[in-house]
Amino acid sequence: MATDAAERLLNLIIALTHAPRRMTRDEIRATVAGYTPRPRGATEADAKKVDAAFERMFERDKDDLRRMGVPLHTVTDPYDGADIGYKIVAADAAMPSLDLTAAEVAVLGLAAEYWQGATLGDDARLALTKVASHTPHQVSEPLPWAALATASKDATSVLVDAIYERQRVRFDYTSVSSGMARRTVEPWRLVVRGGNEYLLGLDVDKSEARTYRVSRVHGTVKLLGESGDFERPATIPTDIFTASTGGSAIIALRPESGHVLRSRGTRLEGAAAQDLAVELVAIGATASEVEGSHEAAGWEIFTVPYDHLDILRDEVLALRGAAKVMAPEPLANSIVDHARRALEVAHG
Amino acid sequence: MAEKALPRLTRLLGIMTYVHDQGEATFTELADHFGVTTAQIRKDIVALWSSGLPGYSGGDLIDFDAYLYDQDVASIVDSQGVTQIKLSTREAVALVGALSSLLASGAAPDVAVSAYNKIRAILGAEDPVTVVPTAEVDPAVAQSLRASVVAHKVADIEYVDASDRRTSRVIEPHRLVAIDGVAYVECFCRRAQDYRMLRLDRMVSVTAGDDDVVAPPADETGFSLVPQFEATVVAARGARWVLEDLPGVVLTDVGDDVQATFGVADLDWVADRLLAIAPYLRTVAPQSVRDALADHAHAVLATAAS
Repeated sequence: MATDAAERLLNLIIALTHAPRRMTRDEIRATVAGYTPRPRGATEADAKKVDAAFERMFERDKDDLRRMGVPLHTVTDPYDGADIGYKIVAADAAMPSLDLTAAEVAVLGLAAEYWQGATLGDDARLALTKVASHTPHQVSEPLPWAALATASKDATSVLVDAIYERQRVRFDYTSVSSGMARRTVEPWRLVVRGGNEYLLGLDVDKSEARTYRVSRVHGTVKLLGESGDFERPATIPTDIFTASTGGSAIIALRPESGHVLRSRGTRLEGAAAQDLAVELVAIGATASEVEGSHEAAGWEIFTVPYDHLDILRDEVLALRGAAKVMAPEPLANSIVDHARRALEVAHG
Repeated sequence: MAEKALPRLTRLLGIMTYVHDQGEATFTELADHFGVTTAQIRKDIVALWSSGLPGYSGGDLIDFDAYLYDQDVASIVDSQGVTQIKLSTREAVALVGALSSLLASGAAPDVAVSAYNKIRAILGAEDPVTVVPTAEVDPAVAQSLRASVVAHKVADIEYVDASDRRTSRVIEPHRLVAIDGVAYVECFCRRAQDYRMLRLDRMVSVTAGDDDVVAPPADETGFSLVPQFEATVVAARGARWVLEDLPGVVLTDVGDDVQATFGVADLDWVADRLLAIAPYLRTVAPQSVRDALADHAHAVLATAAS
């Protein structure tokens, strides 16, 4: 009789925890409830079939146990390296009490919704059952908070898996500079900043550390090779947003407009605005450009820090003329270019 | 198969740990605690009862108090050492990732910090996810809104919408939601007389009001904008990541290009998205979307030339 998979796994855990030294595959198959022993007097072909079915089931069970965090020790033969048995050390496997308060458990509950349909959602639900095991029952109202991940959520799950497993990944990616291309990456870490998720890793083809915006990954992320295929560097740079990609722009805003840029930026007034005018002339701006952007002409001038020029570009475009970029020049040019290209398409 | 193996296995182990910690527990309490029916709990206890060490007789098995079982109460006589398994790395990541997103949004309840730290400690140096906080939400705005949400009171807000219009509104806040690390409040807006999701980083100020929240929460999370008509855009595949984000979009590959069909609820918002990917655009339909796109582009060019 086929036993329920959960019950078979439970019996496997109990058996391996109590085994004095180890249990071999044959011992497991012959004694643990839920596995089918080799039938007596079966033909060789039938026996082979049943053996193969056992092997598949046992491999899946081992994967399931590892996935849920059971430290399954594989005892290998010192001479030929073959797997000769398995063992679980109870003290390594047990869930410690995390001393979580009822309020903390409730807030952890938000994680079940967060990953939505993605595989990490299943892990979150298992985690919450585990956390609940050590927490007294309490009837609680639903929290007035929620957290959701909507962008590339399947990509995110696969990337987290790959980082944890140290497994290479391949995906299609659109970059600002070089358009769409297929990338092979050794993933190191996922960084979440503002509304964006970033993957830090090694671009295998270029042999260089790179940062990828997860929202720009399209299609599916493919896992390559085996677990543990690469080593992460001992220190992973997390100040990736300051030096290489970020900077500061000078933007003139119409009064009562560009509120988001205002709140992020710093207003230049009086002497600072004068200095700016001098500086702009020094870097090649014409006198009329400086004059036209001066406060007297009804503009208010701000310095606005940015992480990515293209995000700032989209923000300025969305202000539909209520913002004028004074520096850097490539940003100003790319805004004009976007508007011109839009007109071409709009006029067919 | 009715239920996947791991959720059930985790619950079976959880029942053992919970009943051990609490001494005994009614089936109703277990059902509530683990979010299943009492019938399922009864099946779980029976399954546990017949599990144990190879041999599976007498002293090999997990044992419950039979007298109490008849009264729908679980009490362990012999656990065979069975207890819950510690969190796997992935499970801890799933919890930490969700909480860090909430924390990064700037709208998290205080208790999220201590919960985060306790789970984060399990991961040690292995944490594959790092959240870099951004200070875009004014802490005073977040604090006032948190207080209003918890107290079920209205709030007076100064808000700047996506089209840069500044308005004063009275909102009935229901829930704070972090979507991809960006904080929103789900609310009923008395000015619009409709449900809205408003971004906290677009609030200039929040003042607590005295009125109670009276509108019931919306049925579902999300934006309640209703599409007015359908638009079709063809663009080079480099723009795919932007098109993928359009609500309700259907994407089809056309040679090296991608065709996106989607409902338009807010014409100006759609024109903004298209302007952002203008260098990739091939065709845009219908005419009304092309007109809006042209209007926006003219406004941008007029300013750039000034």
